[in-house]
Amino acid sequence: MVAELSLVIDGQEVRTQPGKTVIQAAMDAGLYIPYLCYYPGMKPYGACRMCVVEIENTRGTPASCTTPAADGMVVWSNTPQIQELRKGITELVISEHPHGCLTCHRIELCGPQDVCLRHVSVTDRCVACPKNERCELKDTTIYVGTGLNTPLDYKYRTLPVESKDPFYDMDYNLCIVCGRCVRACEEIRVDSAITFTERAGVSLVGPAHGSSLLESGCEFCGSCIDVCPVGALVETDYKWEKAVERVSTTCPHCPVGCQLKLEVNKRGKVIRAIPDLEAEANHGQACFKGKFGYDFVNSRARLRTPLIRRNGVLEEASWEEAVALVAERLGQYKGDQFAAVASYRGTNEENYLLQKFTRVVMGTNNVDHSSNTKPEIARPLEQTLGFQAATNPIWDLENAKSILVVGANATEEHNVAAVPVKRAVRNGAKLIVIDPREVELTRYATMWMRPEPGTDVALIGGMLRVIVDEVMEDEGFLRESCDGLDALKNSLWRFDLKRVQDVTGISEDEIREAARTFAQNGPGAILYALDTVSASSRVDLVQALSNLALMTGNIGKPSAGLYPLRPGTNDQGSWDVGCVPDQLPGYLGLEESANISEAWGAELPSGPGLGINDVFQAASDGRVKAMLVVGDSPNFANGHIGDALQAAGQLDFLVVQDTFLSEIAQAADVVLPSATYAEKEGTLTNLERRVQPLRKVLEVNNTQAMPDWWTISQIARAMDAQGFDYHCTAQILNEISRVVPMYAGISYQRLLAGASVLQPAGFPPSPLPSQLYPTEGGQNLGIQWPCDSSDDPGVSILYSEGSADRRHTLVPMELNDVPAMTTPEFPLLFLPGRVLQQPQRGIEIEVVNDKNRIQRDEIMDIHPTDAASLGIGEGDWVEATSAREQIRARARISESATPRTVSVTTLFGELATRLEESDDPDPMSKVPTLDMTPVRVAKVQG
Amino acid sequence: MAGYEEIQQEAQRRYQELEAGDRPWIRVGTAVHGEAAGAMDVMEAFRSQLESRGIAANVSGVGDLGLSFAEPLVDIKKPGGPRIFYRNISPGQVSELIDSCVAGDDPRPDLALGTLGPETVAGIPRLEDHPMWARQVRVAMRNCGHIDPLDIYQYIANGGYSALAKAVSQMEPQDVIQEVQTSGLRGRGGAAFPTGTKWSFIARSPGPVKYILCNCEEGDPGAYNDKGILESDPHSLIEGVTLAGYATGSSNGIVFIRHGHHGPIERTERAIEQAYELGLLGENILGSSFSFDVEVSLTGESYVAGEETALMESIEGKRAMPRYRPPFPAQAGVWQLPSNINNIKTLSYVPEIIAKGGEWFAGIGTESSKGTAILCLSGNIAMPGMVEVPMGITLREVIDEVAGGVPGGRRTKFLQTGGPLGGVISADQIDIPLDFDAMQRAGAILGSGGIIVADDRACAVNMTRLLIAFCQYESCGKCFPCRLGMTNLLEILERITTFKTRPSDMELMRTVGQNMASASLCGHGQLGWNPVQSALQYFPEDFAAHIEEGRCPTGQCKGPVFTPQRTRPRWTSAQPLEIRI
Repeated sequence: MVAELSLVIDGQEVRTQPGKTVIQAAMDAGLYIPYLCYYPGMKPYGACRMCVVEIENTRGTPASCTTPAADGMVVWSNTPQIQELRKGITELVISEHPHGCLTCHRIELCGPQDVCLRHVSVTDRCVACPKNERCELKDTTIYVGTGLNTPLDYKYRTLPVESKDPFYDMDYNLCIVCGRCVRACEEIRVDSAITFTERAGVSLVGPAHGSSLLESGCEFCGSCIDVCPVGALVETDYKWEKAVERVSTTCPHCPVGCQLKLEVNKRGKVIRAIPDLEAEANHGQACFKGKFGYDFVNSRARLRTPLIRRNGVLEEASWEEAVALVAERLGQYKGDQFAAVASYRGTNEENYLLQKFTRVVMGTNNVDHSSNTKPEIARPLEQTLGFQAATNPIWDLENAKSILVVGANATEEHNVAAVPVKRAVRNGAKLIVIDPREVELTRYATMWMRPEPGTDVALIGGMLRVIVDEVMEDEGFLRESCDGLDALKNSLWRFDLKRVQDVTGISEDEIREAARTFAQNGPGAILYALDTVSASSRVDLVQALSNLALMTGNIGKPSAGLYPLRPGTNDQGSWDVGCVPDQLPGYLGLEESANISEAWGAELPSGPGLGINDVFQAASDGRVKAMLVVGDSPNFANGHIGDALQAAGQLDFLVVQDTFLSEIAQAADVVLPSATYAEKEGTLTNLERRVQPLRKVLEVNNTQAMPDWWTISQIARAMDAQGFDYHCTAQILNEISRVVPMYAGISYQRLLAGASVLQPAGFPPSPLPSQLYPTEGGQNLGIQWPCDSSDDPGVSILYSEGSADRRHTLVPMELNDVPAMTTPEFPLLFLPGRVLQQPQRGIEIEVVNDKNRIQRDEIMDIHPTDAASLGIGEGDWVEATSAREQIRARARISESATPRTVSVTTLFGELATRLEESDDPDPMSKVPTLDMTPVRVAKVQG
Repeated sequence: MAGYEEIQQEAQRRYQELEAGDRPWIRVGTAVHGEAAGAMDVMEAFRSQLESRGIAANVSGVGDLGLSFAEPLVDIKKPGGPRIFYRNISPGQVSELIDSCVAGDDPRPDLALGTLGPETVAGIPRLEDHPMWARQVRVAMRNCGHIDPLDIYQYIANGGYSALAKAVSQMEPQDVIQEVQTSGLRGRGGAAFPTGTKWSFIARSPGPVKYILCNCEEGDPGAYNDKGILESDPHSLIEGVTLAGYATGSSNGIVFIRHGHHGPIERTERAIEQAYELGLLGENILGSSFSFDVEVSLTGESYVAGEETALMESIEGKRAMPRYRPPFPAQAGVWQLPSNINNIKTLSYVPEIIAKGGEWFAGIGTESSKGTAILCLSGNIAMPGMVEVPMGITLREVIDEVAGGVPGGRRTKFLQTGGPLGGVISADQIDIPLDFDAMQRAGAILGSGGIIVADDRACAVNMTRLLIAFCQYESCGKCFPCRLGMTNLLEILERITTFKTRPSDMELMRTVGQNMASASLCGHGQLGWNPVQSALQYFPEDFAAHIEEGRCPTGQCKGPVFTPQRTRPRWTSAQPLEIRI
């Protein structure tokens, strides 16, 4: 327990912990001290000098953001001298910042949305600032009572607005050089894409050497925009829109589950997404998907009414007609000729309901969620550890001393989860990346190992062998909590390092170093996504990683553990609520159906159903005749599931619930319009088991779209099923909490009951950074399951207490033959990679339609032996052809390439440009994954 | 590895060959002033002509004797004779000098400045009697201009590294700190903090890795004594920093030099290499258990990089912007490890203090300011140069005697001391002694030791504008009061010097200046008001003439002023703005 210390701020006694600064102590106590460069959660900086205070027995006027609180300190934050000093500083600031919004004589008359075209010069007008009325500088200036008849000369910088890079508008005429954005980029995101430029009076911010964000390695996370106190950095989309409402909800794009504050304008459009600074899942961070991928909610291309196929054409219909038709037709396909597919971002309630409908009404276990293409990702953990879930919270990673990342492109697919990884590395943690692809995290890695594709299990086995040989295992932990040690040790004798070296192509020394690095730098965490692993070795790899975590004692303690990085937004929740073909809600086996059967009042089908990997094959060969597909085309179009679209055409009857007329919806007999995440309620469970609510940010307008849970229950009721009379999602969640033991204590009342702790109270209302603006209905809380009762706070770190009664299991390992990932027709393996920067390669930026684009030759790395056998020389144009596509590039012959593979590394900026220019209403959900593909390569003419 | 005694013997043997051998020894001052005046060509001319004539002589490039007005300065010592210094020698005069002095026996009194040594030469005065030399007490500069900075043996032959040998073999680290405390040495970088006390802070910080940083950023206009020492006698610094490392239990020294000054950089790097070769740096120095490493680190072009925390950022490879304090460097300095930062001059005193004792050093100077001051004299004076004088002599003595007074029958108007942030002292104040505290009381600082003398043709307002222009240009841009305040101060001063003053300007300047002083993050902003304030204090009439009468009493302020645009916002409001809506 840390000793508390006590100080007096403006006559009020304030208690705080050692290490906090005076301003933090004041803010925690609800006292406001004006600031501009300070930002909650960032290290002190001490540039703006707005937060100066007087401290008794201390010389001068120290800045409260940099002065550590000390016991017995007496602080005065508002003496007349301090007030004068602050006014002096704000006068200086606004001498360089357009401030028509403060000095215009019509201020008192002007309504919030009025447009004024007189009185103030054009560049200074309040309406020329995109942050008008949500400007922290303006609020602060008013708060400190700066006299507006400053005798200082006002200077306008006359810089052009920079808007050529994706997503961002940068108007450095408005910049006050507080450095928050630079620090957010460097300190919080560890990207350092922007920096200070020049110095003295023209010191500003921008990419180094005046380059563009595309060149500087920007991740387009929007963090700099979120912290900007003025209008210098803003989102390009809806830049000038004003919010009339602000609601906290959960991001629908990936399983990190960032809490976002969505802003809505008076026309009912979502105009901005601002990550919540106080959310446990994201700590105020978001990524390009969540920050900029909300516009599909506003799209005009959305489905407006239900559609029914008549004479081969989809025609508009009423809900009554459509539901009646669906009920009638589905009634003809009960049993195993029916299958249901849930959305990867469906809520717990919706996916629970869909599996209940499938099982109870349709009498089959053919139900799965569309992103469940790698069901093995967490499943073996039930046997080895206990739960099929990540053991630790995401931000625990920040304090890890070593991190092992296996086959995962976290920066793009689970972006915010990569932030604590990079921060840990900056703080000295060792990062080991095992991945044949070059991904962003490889740039931060202490060790990057590129084993032969498919040999990851052998490599982990080799590491375990070193750990056993060099007695680096956590003996106490193993004795206390694990079974199967002898069997595992016996199985490891097969992993002779020489043999492992031959199989994996990784040298013995490297394997030893990796093993030592991970075993000797505890706590160590393991992240994996199975992106680069063939189906047949997935279970083995997960077991191997579980063995590694257990052997090194990295289970049940902070900043350690295993993180399966599932692909879909709500994969964890879908598994929890049984939206899978072979398990019932709460991870019950199909044979353990008694309780659920009783709760539902229905007999349940027996025998496992068809999962997402099999269902479309079954559709093409006629075993499945009718399907209900909820949502989302990305998983059908990306090739993970075979030719789903073609198979869907073979069905007798296909119902699709979707927001857009997606490719699969175009093949449907009935299409039912779905409400988006911003228009519905429900809960999502993120990758750290945190159950978080979706809130209704806005009403569905201009369409008849309905939430999917409503649609499913309507269909069920039209089929005369009992137990589907739901009025709201809370009812469904209550039912889930009754049948899923881990959710027993979770309810809406608990999830919605949050209030901000960082907003100082007091009157008049104090200025706030926009990330701290209050939201309608307060903040969302998340609860990490298992949560047994209504007063159980949930479990942050699994197995941390009472692990004596839950023993873990080590699984013996086999050194199997490597399954072939290539075919004679496509003999090489293509490894796509994507990084933020390639400092060793020059890129050119060309401007097309006033937007920056990266212009450069693609370079394909080829091993010399492959190049020789294909007759390819350095710099030749080559073409890699896969079953689906072709890629042209210049050959670079390099020893560092793995034999029998070719690789291409593109810049993340190219992806960002494509996303911004996409015509797709929901491009963020379709960010191309970096799939390894068999190809053949041939030299072509340039 | 040889012990110190053996190294000393080898050094003596080599030095005696030069000093007391049978060849003439010709030394050319090749530090920056000499080089600027053409010393490299002079030295080259000596070498090639001696060779072509087959005359056996030793030619060395030495450092800066300090008599900058006489550069290129050449001295010739013939066997058995004194060193005879010849002033302002051009390459064309070399053959003449060789003819008469080296080959012949005519000492050429017409070209000579003075002699140094026990022997005298008829017709040539002794250098000890030269006004610029007579008042000097050379401690840190003891070797400057005498030895070849590229030859460690010459330094050792003159007693070099004996202090280090003494310390590591006979003294405990705390004895070294005690000796420095006894000496009363105060930091010569500007703040005049007692060096021994500063060392005792870092000595208490936990190791094993601790840094001693030597600051040779030296960006003050008119200051070149740090660079002068590094160019002329880098080993003095190396020995000093190593002693500091021993005293404080530190492991590493970093000599931080402003990028672009090739002389100090190359000579310091060479000196470090030589010290390593002789086992005076590195593992187990001179056979003791003490190990210490020294390296050179360079700044970018930034004045503020000389601020101690900005310097640390710069060493770490970041933009040179000051950090906030606490934590102080002694707890968390460079790379967040305990660090101690001293000026070059401060550390260069240390070997002599340890060799001769703190009491000896404390015997020089005044009660509160012990030892000597190393001054860089420039401006309107007869004899600009670098001198080392005891603390306590008056500024008037410095100007009128050491610097030879203001030439052309003019009178001194003011002195600008201690760098651009130091401010000005009017001529009627120059009877104050050279002393940290006395000068501070007079509203100026001794600072880094630069003294720029202005005669009665100089306009105090214009001088102030120039100083603020420098400070504005060199603001790092981090903290608001300095970044914006400097710009506004400069604009007001430009209005005054162009006679476009507004009624509120004086008040405004005071407000901005005082806000800067109380709110800025580092000394650059905190002291930025100093030059204006001191000018206002001593020369209110100059300001009044500009403001009220619209004229400059000296006529210096006429026409438009040069405005560096690279660090100042462009001043327009009429240009159209590109806005995408």
